[in-house]
Amino acid sequence: MKLEIKDLHVSVSGKEILKGISLEVNSGEKHVIMGPNGSGKSTLAKAIMGHPKFTVTSGEMLVDGKSINSLATDKRARLGLFLQFQDPVEIDGVGFISFLRAAKESIDGKAVGMKDFMKDMRGNISSLKLGDEFIGRSLNQGFSGGEKKKAEVLQMAMLKPGIAILDEPDSGLDIDAIKVVAENINKIADSTKPGLLIITHHTRILGYMKPDFVHVMVDGRIVANGGSELSDRLEKEGYNSYISKGSETSR
Amino acid sequence: MAERIEETVNGEEVLQKDEYLEKYGFNDKFEYKFRTKKGLSEEVVREISKIKGEPEWMLQKRLDALKVFYSKPMPKWGADLSKIDFDDIYYYLRPTDKSKGNSWDAVPEDIKRTFDKLGIPEAEKKFFAGAEAQYDSEVVYSNIKKELEEQGVIFTSMDQAVKDYPELVKKYFGTVIPASDNKFAALNTAVWSGGSFIYVPKGVKVMAPLQAYFRINAEKAGQFERTLIIADEGSDLANTDVTYIEGCFTAGTEISTIDGAVPIEQIRTGDKVLTHRGRYREVYHTQVRPHTGRLFHIKYFGDTSTVIDATDEHPFLVSKIEKTEYKNTDWKFEWVRADELQKFDYLAMPIDRSIVSHDQMEFMVPAGTGNRIDDMPLKLSIDEGFFRLIGYYLAEGSTTGHARDNYLMFTFNKGEMEYILDTAQLLEKYFGKKPIIQDVYKNRISVVLRSTLAAGFFSGEFGNGAMNKHVPNWVVHETLEKQRELVKGMWKSNGSSTNKGYVNGTSMFRINTISPLLAKQLRNILLRFNILSNINKQVRGGDRHTMYCVHIGGEDLALFANLMGVLSYDVGVENSDGTEMLVSVNQAQTTSSYSRIIGNYALLPIKEISWESVEDLPVYNFSVMEDESYMAGGVAVHNCTAPIYMSSSLHAAVVEIVAHKNSHVRYVTIQNWSKNVYNLVTQRAYAYENASVDWIDGNIGSGINMKYPSVFLKGKGASGEIVSIAVAGNNQVQDSGGKIYHLAPDTSSKIISKSVSKGSGVTTYRGLLHIAKNADNVKSTVRCDALLLDDTAKTNTFPYNEIYNSTATITHEATTGKIGEDQLFYMMSRGMSEDDALATIVLGFIEPLAKVLPMEYSIELKRLIKLDTSNSVG
Repeated sequence: MKLEIKDLHVSVSGKEILKGISLEVNSGEKHVIMGPNGSGKSTLAKAIMGHPKFTVTSGEMLVDGKSINSLATDKRARLGLFLQFQDPVEIDGVGFISFLRAAKESIDGKAVGMKDFMKDMRGNISSLKLGDEFIGRSLNQGFSGGEKKKAEVLQMAMLKPGIAILDEPDSGLDIDAIKVVAENINKIADSTKPGLLIITHHTRILGYMKPDFVHVMVDGRIVANGGSELSDRLEKEGYNSYISKGSETSR
Repeated sequence: MAERIEETVNGEEVLQKDEYLEKYGFNDKFEYKFRTKKGLSEEVVREISKIKGEPEWMLQKRLDALKVFYSKPMPKWGADLSKIDFDDIYYYLRPTDKSKGNSWDAVPEDIKRTFDKLGIPEAEKKFFAGAEAQYDSEVVYSNIKKELEEQGVIFTSMDQAVKDYPELVKKYFGTVIPASDNKFAALNTAVWSGGSFIYVPKGVKVMAPLQAYFRINAEKAGQFERTLIIADEGSDLANTDVTYIEGCFTAGTEISTIDGAVPIEQIRTGDKVLTHRGRYREVYHTQVRPHTGRLFHIKYFGDTSTVIDATDEHPFLVSKIEKTEYKNTDWKFEWVRADELQKFDYLAMPIDRSIVSHDQMEFMVPAGTGNRIDDMPLKLSIDEGFFRLIGYYLAEGSTTGHARDNYLMFTFNKGEMEYILDTAQLLEKYFGKKPIIQDVYKNRISVVLRSTLAAGFFSGEFGNGAMNKHVPNWVVHETLEKQRELVKGMWKSNGSSTNKGYVNGTSMFRINTISPLLAKQLRNILLRFNILSNINKQVRGGDRHTMYCVHIGGEDLALFANLMGVLSYDVGVENSDGTEMLVSVNQAQTTSSYSRIIGNYALLPIKEISWESVEDLPVYNFSVMEDESYMAGGVAVHNCTAPIYMSSSLHAAVVEIVAHKNSHVRYVTIQNWSKNVYNLVTQRAYAYENASVDWIDGNIGSGINMKYPSVFLKGKGASGEIVSIAVAGNNQVQDSGGKIYHLAPDTSSKIISKSVSKGSGVTTYRGLLHIAKNADNVKSTVRCDALLLDDTAKTNTFPYNEIYNSTATITHEATTGKIGEDQLFYMMSRGMSEDDALATIVLGFIEPLAKVLPMEYSIELKRLIKLDTSNSVG
């Protein structure tokens, strides 16, 4: 699977947030987008998934060469796109398990046997150190910050996307939880080889997962591309040099 | 005077009813023997009382109430009731001469039919502890289980109670809800008819729920039933009114549709499915819900490849076993719940006898050379010879090629020269090209036609690869003459017969295939000839595919031999492939002697029935126009729903409950009236010392609903709980809530209201909390949550508090929520369609209450949300 973003411009209520993003993510590749707060990273994630609030004013998003600009969110998901939410919404009274199974059925386009599904679930729950009582709970309802992040990874493990966008899988997690989350993401990466687009503020999680590509995003633009050495440099130097650079290019 | 209706039903009315029948299902044409004049008057009230043979005191109550009715103005504080025309309503309808049936046998056939359609089967005594079914104004049938009678519980019609228990009725009738309470309570008191009377004696606990069924059958027939429940000291009662019942199946259950077998989870609105009447009808709503409880596994004789998984309450069409020797003499059909099924009960498999015939058909077949593929038209004569060729293909055919199928090949045993030549000649006839008959290779001879068009046609229509073979819809419905040739082709080349070496020296025919679908299709085709076959699944060793053998044995042998044009004693003995299959003729023999074809049903005894406990297992069901049934795993099962009517009806019932010291009463009502019904019901309970009363009130149907169950806490320590759920779709007004009067100390109450509105739907919560001066230490909680599904939906909240005592602890919470963009986005990002996401969120919203409700609630809710957007029904 291949996701291509070509000169993407996105506005929210008339204000341009993304000012021409180009990016290509293939199955099996690990991309990291770093950048300061407000640079448009989450906007990019939601625009790719088709959130109605984000208007694509120009540019193209393609999956395997076909434009997805006008596809509804659920159709994008069925093509194999997945978004791990930074702060997933809570939905009262909807069982996590039944929701996930319904999601899997609509993505796979076929019935999912309860037995195999639960077996898979239990495996993933224990490897994410979530505890069995998790099975009976409502969707994200009353989950702690850490549980929410883990539940998102759990969904990714079960839905087996072709390309997954992870919007800050590490924020708000303690050091042990970051390790567990990173290991599980790695496990998914090794087994089903999705293309990963990881959005993060800091480099700690990158200590557990080596990116193939690092992109620096500032003010709605990608201002630098590189390999994992780039994230090391950011760790030391911060974004300051890019922020000035960003504003220069915008002129 | 009551009119004789047989004479007055004019042609136009009858025509209208036929239209309903055609369009909406089961508004049975029903001959009303008596009905009062249209409109309301003292004369009509006297007439009602006279027809019922009532004592004078009841007539007096009616007449007094009528005066109250006239004196009270139409309530203007709530929903718009100005369109109700009291002069355009029949106030009394009596369906039969017999006012009452003491047993099911006494119930007239047409009423039975209507109950069947409602899913209230002859076996109702097995369904319910005691069911009272109301057909228009008269209770035509009621039944109480013996144990209840022995405990002294009285469960009868209100009409009967006036005659049999006048003292009880006199003492309580109209004491909880006097006629003067409101205009509609007055109307009900004046013209009431039918309804239930329940008396639970001291200390008796009624464990099984008593259920009563109400429906309005006739257009413009108001229904004014009257219910009175008296729970004596220390007794316990749970009463449930539901408008229908429904059960479900697990994913993968095969449903017979006009396009072949489809897994139940893929059934969509608009699909045409085979019903228990052997015809196709449209699906008008589908649903899925999580099931926690028992899941039944049912296997039947005659098909070892099928296991049906159903929830415990799903009704199956069966003929119950009468004697152990499997031979019923009288074949009565009834709907029986899965958990009431027994081994050897006969499941009904309807026979699809529909015929759609073509002389010629045109098919679009992918053809062309190299990389160019175009669909090319292929015109074919659809006659008997062609069907025989199809039979040969199903048995021995395959297609091969590089980029696509170029070769059509039939491989026979070298000894089958007759069929080899027949195939070659047929191929040339229909495709205009001479095939090549190859030399013998490993005792086999192939007939090969090089034709991309022919190969593409066969693999496209009938499947390539033996496992995927099947017949398309147009073959399934062809004439018997053509189908006979298909069976011939299949059997001659791939089937076998044997009459040697087996127990009893019995003979049988069989046709083998490794396609499970083809086996079932063949079985169904044979049923059209009244030939009953058995599908025997054989798991074979090594990497060999599972084999499905369609056996014909026993009495059907001669029929089949006749069909094939052979005498049953001169068929060959060897298998076509020279090998012996491991089949138990004995089993095939006995199996078919258990089974029967009666009319349009094959009756197959249950071989094995077991159950397991499941948790949150998604189960599926759907509703079918008119017949309200479908085929699951090959056999007939029921679905039920409320009937749909055209013009407005008025339902103004009164329910009075008296809960004496230490008693507990729970009353559940789910109203699913069609949208033309005004539902204006008064429900009130008196709770004495330490008694508790729960009202659970679900309002899904009706166009305008006004309903506020109330509890008067009259004794120290009494408690009341009101759970109110309202769903308003387009053109619906749900004005509901609850009232609690704390009239004694240490009383507690709880009101929970959840409402959902959508489109032009309006929900209004109207609640009253009254705490009297002497009521010390009252605890009360009120919580109302409203959910709006879109920008046009409306909700109102009118909580009234009358607090005259300062020691009360009261909490009141109200929320109004809108389904957020972010919630929908989140669920859709996981692949759910917008409709599914919406329905899931709403079901989640009412989930805490849905737990205490029958499951129909979630079913109906889903229908409302999903179907109202597409305007398909309603």
